[in-house]
Amino acid sequence: MPFFLFGLAFELLPILTVVQSSLTKKGILTFEFYRQAMDPLFLRSFANSIKLSATTAALGVVFGTLVAYAIITTKNKFLQNALVALSDVTTNFGGAPLAFAFIVILGSTGVITLLLKEVSINLYPEFRIYSISGLTIAYLYFQLPLMILLIIPSLHGLKREWKEAALNLGASNFRYWVEIALPILFPALMSGFLLLFANSFGAYATAWTLTGSDVDLITIRIAALIRGEVQLAPELADALSMISLLIMSACVAGYLRLSNLSRVTQR
Amino acid sequence: MNKSSELWRPVVLGTFLLFMVIPVIATLAFSVSTRWDRSIWPEGYTLQWWQEVTSRGAFILTLKNSFVASFMTMFCLLVLVTPTAYWMKLRVPQAKPAIEFITTFSFGVPGVVLALALIRFYSKVPLPIINQPAILIVACMVLSLPFMYRPVVNALDAIDFRVLTEAGQSLGANGWSILTEVIVPNIMPGIISGCLLVFSTVFSEFTLTNLLVGTRFKTFPLYLVEFTRFDGRQASALAVISFVVAWVTSLLIIWVTSKGGRETTHAVGR
Repeated sequence: MPFFLFGLAFELLPILTVVQSSLTKKGILTFEFYRQAMDPLFLRSFANSIKLSATTAALGVVFGTLVAYAIITTKNKFLQNALVALSDVTTNFGGAPLAFAFIVILGSTGVITLLLKEVSINLYPEFRIYSISGLTIAYLYFQLPLMILLIIPSLHGLKREWKEAALNLGASNFRYWVEIALPILFPALMSGFLLLFANSFGAYATAWTLTGSDVDLITIRIAALIRGEVQLAPELADALSMISLLIMSACVAGYLRLSNLSRVTQR
Repeated sequence: MNKSSELWRPVVLGTFLLFMVIPVIATLAFSVSTRWDRSIWPEGYTLQWWQEVTSRGAFILTLKNSFVASFMTMFCLLVLVTPTAYWMKLRVPQAKPAIEFITTFSFGVPGVVLALALIRFYSKVPLPIINQPAILIVACMVLSLPFMYRPVVNALDAIDFRVLTEAGQSLGANGWSILTEVIVPNIMPGIISGCLLVFSTVFSEFTLTNLLVGTRFKTFPLYLVEFTRFDGRQASALAVISFVVAWVTSLLIIWVTSKGGRETTHAVGR
């Protein structure tokens, strides 16, 4: 019972307050704040957030699956366990320390920046770690290990006999992957993509440490409204929050659906 | 298979390893170098930044605040989740969907939205927790609820809690002492890994702290971010400390779960 009170008091009621406040003006139902939230200014923040999340999720899925496959096909058991442990540890990283580590290596006087300058590749000023492309690299640091951990069970589900059967029937390795393995993995890949997308969409700490309020992401904008850096109707922040919430929870719901599905197909 | 087709694996794994390890190593090296912004290698080594940053009063204070927040969250969640999970498993399995909805809630809600919602709601109701550490604790509880719930439920699944309960009842124990004296010791690995997951989540929490309490209850991540703005060397020392805390907790979790042989969940969303 206390558990439901807790859920009610600290999850449902606060969220419902925001829903109500975003939809009413002086007690009358209105969509005015949602119309305001559709301002090009905010649409751009949403677009940036979606682009960043989609990019890091896609890169995370592709490279995460590749690395995961390399890990499970490694014969050295110790290396295999060590790499899974490394993924386990690093996927919980994020926020301030991670952002700072990337400033150290890829900032304007970072190690990698200086190293590349030695071989006459100048990262700056075209590339900045304090930008969306910089954030993409930093986000991959936790997206990649998360995907590895998510996909390993599904990769274990690919039976060796399937591959042997395909190769015996004259299929090439490439054809086996495109026509057999990937379609089987598809629900798992898709659910991984959705979870990674949500993971990056809701992220705030890493972006804020790296860029302050410079980078135009929706979480950064909402936070600026909460802190009162920008004077606007509070209901506008509510409406923006509700839209973010819808996007993110749709991804999580999709993830939960698909991951149940891929668990079933593995049996 | 011929040799060349085997070459991709070391390349992929090597690149992955470098990507994951370089940021940590570089931060560590940066924190002990005299100057490292003009040359490829540090110009010299020193412990000066470590001494400076750790000798400040704010260092101890923020570290203490982070520990207090983590342990408070851990304790409150433990008291809230364990009886609920046990009671759900034993008596009311039909409550499961509702409970799972509440626990997975934080996966679907961005941190900034949770902060906004709590501020909006509690500035209206007469419960004076706005701007207090208490609101941070409850927010952290919402955030890390799934990390406590999952391992505990998995641990309950792995033991025969029905038989244990009936054995306790036939010996005349009441519900509460069955829970604390019989069930809890049997699901200890799950409880410990849940606590550690909660600890590592809350210890590195930044979004909620920054928006809900800010400088009124400054935690370690807030202190770190403050330093990134004006002194990179000292910030790097703080970042190394955060990395070490995160690594140690994660390794402990891996160790506990591999000993208990039960699966755990992973932190998502930050």
